Amino acid sequence: MIEAHGLAKRYGSKTAVDNISFTVQPGRVTGFLGPNGAGKSTTMRMIMGLDRPTAGTVTVNGRPYARHARPLAEVGALLEAKAVHSGRSAFNHLRALAATHGIPQQRVHDVIELTGLESVARKRVGGFSLGMGQRLGIAAALIGDPKTLILDEPVNGLDPEGVIWVRNLAKRLAADGRTVFLSSHLMSEVALTADHVLVIGRGRILADTSVEDLIAASERKHVRVRSPQAGDLASLLAQKDAVVTTLEPGVLEITGPDAASVGELAAAARIVLHELTPIRSTLEEAYMSLTADSVEYRSEDSRQGTTPPAAGGASTGEPVAVGTTPSAAGAQATAVEGSDR
Amino acid sequence: MSTAIAAEPAAAAPSSAVTVKNVTFGRLLRSEWIKLWSLRSTWWTLASTAVVLIVGAVGFSALIYFITKEAGAEELGMMGLSGPGALVWGYPVASLVVAVLGCMVITGEYGTGMIRSTFASAPRRLDAFAAKGVVLALVAASLTTLSLAIAWAVTLPLLPEAAAVDLTDGADLRVLYGTVMYVTLLALIAYGLGALIRHTAGAIFTVAAIFLVLPTVFNVALIGASRYEWIGTIYKFLPDVAGSQITSAGPSQAAMLAEFAGVEMLDPWVGIGVLALYTAAVLTAGAVRLKRSDP
Repeated sequence: MIEAHGLAKRYGSKTAVDNISFTVQPGRVTGFLGPNGAGKSTTMRMIMGLDRPTAGTVTVNGRPYARHARPLAEVGALLEAKAVHSGRSAFNHLRALAATHGIPQQRVHDVIELTGLESVARKRVGGFSLGMGQRLGIAAALIGDPKTLILDEPVNGLDPEGVIWVRNLAKRLAADGRTVFLSSHLMSEVALTADHVLVIGRGRILADTSVEDLIAASERKHVRVRSPQAGDLASLLAQKDAVVTTLEPGVLEITGPDAASVGELAAAARIVLHELTPIRSTLEEAYMSLTADSVEYRSEDSRQGTTPPAAGGASTGEPVAVGTTPSAAGAQATAVEGSDR
Repeated sequence: MSTAIAAEPAAAAPSSAVTVKNVTFGRLLRSEWIKLWSLRSTWWTLASTAVVLIVGAVGFSALIYFITKEAGAEELGMMGLSGPGALVWGYPVASLVVAVLGCMVITGEYGTGMIRSTFASAPRRLDAFAAKGVVLALVAASLTTLSLAIAWAVTLPLLPEAAAVDLTDGADLRVLYGTVMYVTLLALIAYGLGALIRHTAGAIFTVAAIFLVLPTVFNVALIGASRYEWIGTIYKFLPDVAGSQITSAGPSQAAMLAEFAGVEMLDPWVGIGVLALYTAAVLTAGAVRLKRSDP
């Protein structure tokens, strides 16, 4: 279990983490989701006692990390690939870490095998690919068989097989009753791996919820209708308490009733429909709408996004948020289901 | 990515299956020992140190041998040559090589990010810092002792009686263990500077500036401006000048120069004490920075 209270980190005038409080529970995978530069890595380093918080406290399994007699048995962390001396072999790196806690050499061999590093274990880490570096970092995190695992962007640089392996590993560890805290800037990754999610943006927690609830809460369901009698349909729908937006002449976006109800209503009123499309926003869109105003580095593409801003979300009314969400990428990902033809 | 993937990630064994003991200072020493010897740079620097010490001793002893043979033993005293002096002849270079190692054991960790793994496994940072320092000091002292012992053995047949090293003689012996002390303190002061500066090149440059450049500059100043007394005062308190008094049986080169300038050098034991104080100060500063600022 990880508990943070009023945790903050400032570098001069820049605030990396802004007074956040959260609890990461054992027995499930908790995703830590946010755009690059949102404060994920800083938070994780503060949990490990590497960065000193400007304010607040954070404890792991009841006490600050440095107060544990056997810290590697409490927390294993992959903080970044290659927090390793490049001149040392993977085997010797793990052996040196194990020695601090009197962990037998057999465990070193076990984690090397578990992470599939056997063939390169005796080679110097300087020549490792990013993926191999990640595996070594995971091996180091596992060496003390810890109750809590902190994995900062664990799938970075891994091949597809490796990505699936990390997902399964995280789930297995959580199923054992361990606390697994895993960061990513990819919503899809967190959705596939995590049960619970903390969303962070610009150093603040934007959401602390189950993955399902996050999707449900930010999901926008609506129906797009194209009809030569759009005006008649709109007034009809308005009587039924549906929210109707005219996107362009002849095209309506309807929030409230589902596609079947709209279709039946139109049929009963003998209104001709040229299109009837249920539209669901995706998880990516939910994430985009949450973090839209907290993205530090924005691509030209998303800055000029022409799609209207998502409803709801965590818009704080800052000027930068206006008209910028969802990005082009988000719009592309919009799922169009069951087009009625 | 050619590595095979364990098809089924073995279920993490229950905690009881893996022996994990408390972090103790002894275990930190063991870890630092493994770290030190698992880097090639350690082997290179330590091998160079031994070679410089032993080859220097043999070369200088051979010089003494030929001078004695050609000009007689009386010449040795006039030229300021002695057996102990021959044995430790290579120490100024050897100590700088050990100092490079002293810097690298800590700056190498900052440079590569290893320091975060170190502090994650040993969150009481000062313990880790101390363990690293103890291992470094032990290795530097042992290697210097061993090299001098080998140098003594191989130069036995070369050194004439007049320049023999008498291990029962207090002054001769002091040169040898004095050199061990000097090299060890230099390794530690370099280690402290490494912890302060956190950058390999910067730390090595600083060590070289303090132990090579400063004494040289003051040498020139002493000769050129000997009427300024304060130059002499600073000179004899320079880390290198103070600490190296213990490494010569007779008056050292620096002492002869100082005498010419009218400066009285520190007593060898006071001198090495001064170097030890500098070392303690630098290590303390390094420890404070290590404890206070994020790696």
